[in-house]
Amino acid sequence: MSPKPHRILLDRVSGYADEAGAYLRRRRQTRRPFARVYAAGGRSVAYEPGTETARALFLAASRLIDAAERE
Amino acid sequence: MSRTKDSRPGPGASPPVPDAELAVARMREMSPDLRGCAVLDAAGTELAISGGSGWASAGQELLAAAEEAGPQPVSQVHVATEDGEVFAVREGGLAMLAVTERFTLASLVLFDMRTVLRDLASGEGIPDRRATGPAPLGEPAP
Repeated sequence: MSPKPHRILLDRVSGYADEAGAYLRRRRQTRRPFARVYAAGGRSVAYEPGTETARALFLAASRLIDAAERE
Repeated sequence: MSRTKDSRPGPGASPPVPDAELAVARMREMSPDLRGCAVLDAAGTELAISGGSGWASAGQELLAAAEEAGPQPVSQVHVATEDGEVFAVREGGLAMLAVTERFTLASLVLFDMRTVLRDLASGEGIPDRRATGPAPLGEPAP
């Protein structure tokens, strides 16, 4: 006997939800700090954490994070 | 949709401080992951902040570091660190800075920032895009 149509739909939706959850878990585990700068023309450049530009951007970013938390 | 409108400066001029404060309030309302944000004018002075201190100097430092990175003018910056994420958007001579929790949806934050900043830079005030809620119980709907 074939499963009811709504069962197929529910299985498919829960499968997508599982996939999305797994993607987010992987992203949290593997994502490393990064710095990305977008130019006015739409071009973007990502800077590796070891570079001089990235270091300056990370330093300024950490000062902004401190500024947001300062009361 | 209503606009806060009175004798406003045209595009390019610094917006009034109440409008900048409204822009910050709108960002806080739209982004649940937001820890804080600020609006700077063309000179890098704070027009409005959500809290904290030292936004202007740190924001200018971030934008200067981004400018030094390439020959083209910078429109957006996104830096993700272990402690949180930082965004900067420039529009019409103004800059908005935002600090969020880690793993926030960057494209949504940048879109919200750009929308709010564009409204602010237009010189026509911040449009009230909030949905009108249901009428309180026992009162007729308008």
